[in-house]
Amino acid sequence: MLREHFASAEDELIACILPREVRALPREKDRDRIENLYSKVDIYGLVENLENCLQCGKCTGICPVASLSPSYNPRQIIHDILNGSEKRWLESEEIWRCFWCASCYTLCPVDIFFPLLMMQIRYLALASRHGVKYFTPFKRFAQRAREDGLTFAPGSPKSRERIMKIRSSIGLSPWPEISDRAREQYKALFDLTGTTAFLESIREEEEKPLALTYLGGRITRAGKKGRQTGK
Amino acid sequence: MQGKRVVKPENKIPEIPQSVFLFRSCTGSLEYPGTENAVRETLRILGIEVVMDPDQTCCSGYLLTCSAHKPEVSLAVTARNLALVEGKNLDTYTFCNGCYGYLSELSHILLHNPAYLNMANDLVAQWGYHYEGRTKIFHVQEMWYRLRDRIADQVVRPLNGLKVGVHYGCHYLAKQYGILDDGGYPTFHEELIELMGGTPVFYKERQLCCGYAVGRGFTHREETVQPHLYKKFISAREAGVDLMTTVCPGCNVALDREQPNLNKRYSEDFKIAVIDLAQLIALTLGVPVQKLGFEANTVPLDDVLKKIGTEKGS
Repeated sequence: MLREHFASAEDELIACILPREVRALPREKDRDRIENLYSKVDIYGLVENLENCLQCGKCTGICPVASLSPSYNPRQIIHDILNGSEKRWLESEEIWRCFWCASCYTLCPVDIFFPLLMMQIRYLALASRHGVKYFTPFKRFAQRAREDGLTFAPGSPKSRERIMKIRSSIGLSPWPEISDRAREQYKALFDLTGTTAFLESIREEEEKPLALTYLGGRITRAGKKGRQTGK
Repeated sequence: MQGKRVVKPENKIPEIPQSVFLFRSCTGSLEYPGTENAVRETLRILGIEVVMDPDQTCCSGYLLTCSAHKPEVSLAVTARNLALVEGKNLDTYTFCNGCYGYLSELSHILLHNPAYLNMANDLVAQWGYHYEGRTKIFHVQEMWYRLRDRIADQVVRPLNGLKVGVHYGCHYLAKQYGILDDGGYPTFHEELIELMGGTPVFYKERQLCCGYAVGRGFTHREETVQPHLYKKFISAREAGVDLMTTVCPGCNVALDREQPNLNKRYSEDFKIAVIDLAQLIALTLGVPVQKLGFEANTVPLDDVLKKIGTEKGS
């Protein structure tokens, strides 16, 4: 019945007088008004398909951080990025909460690689000196790693001694075998790629305040005996 | 338990290699040196020669994800390390989910974007390196599963029904494509536990992440990491887990070192020992306990070793 109705309507009363090929009408998109909106965020071109986001919210449903901190909402962050609501995520406390477990990516129906998006929006926040306090500890680790060729090699003689003792006792070389040449080359790559300069450029005292820009930043707290006692 | 795998291990590793390049993990050799040793000993017992090279550096992925490296440096470091392995005509085996995930992802970027590949190769050419993408990247857990029959045949210290709760870690499962199992419900570790005479425990929050990735253990420990891990340990204890295994030294740090802090904060008494799957395999294959470096662990293994019938030092 219905099929017949449409068939006749198409043919007669409500059929468009223009031929089908020229009837397309692209909807208005933010990228029409804001130049390079998407490439401004995907600086390194690693995400590729953010605009395919369906806003289905599966990312938020599976997110372990969103389950503790409902104001952290990956779906909404993507929405804001695509909308150009830059200030909201750039200055937010929430974007620093992501654990990078990539559960969102494993569930995403259009395979948006959210972790690499997160990495880049954090760079952008740092560029405007937001979230510097969440960068500073790693600045020190990175500057140490640049020297060691290893990440998290402890600096204090006591910790180094402890590791060397355990390693020797189980039959390994006292210190992980890493050549001077490897260390020199690792260090050189930091300098050649501008990473050394990048690390030095972001200074603690330039930090700008962050705000809980999504739903007031509520954190639910697991109470005693496993009960959830939301604040 | 699901016996079928998404990718057959026999397809992923058709021929058992005579030697493999073992990619040193910073955390696996510094925080838990026993992990490095267990992997080396286990590979040796299973008949595979281990090649390592002091010219290999950190994979540089972790601090990249902490926003403290520019991607350019990590891409160049990846090209350099993998070119080093290619010079030996070997495949790369990692024993850290981080190294696995970062090497896979960064090499994917290099091999699918000529501009990035050229940039990286230009940077490392001065030392004679040139990355082509010939070395394949594996995690040793894939080798354990590929050689499950050899492991089962060579068990000398069965686990005597020890209740083991496994932790897969996100940066293997999140790879999503080309990994052995269904990332949504993996079971191949449980199968290995069963083969070694243990009882795998499917605790409710088995797939909850360790919370320490991208440095949140440093920046958001009290705010989100601890409440998050609390859920995991409540469920592991309820299910009666005696021992938890990991395949990522980073996860091991989070799960092992955080327990005293959780106990203090929530007035609990979690004491679930956490070790690497390779350490458990090495133990069942008869590697002496003194070679496995359990003294690096925060939660002691005494009860576990008693259950298997291997007191400390024997």
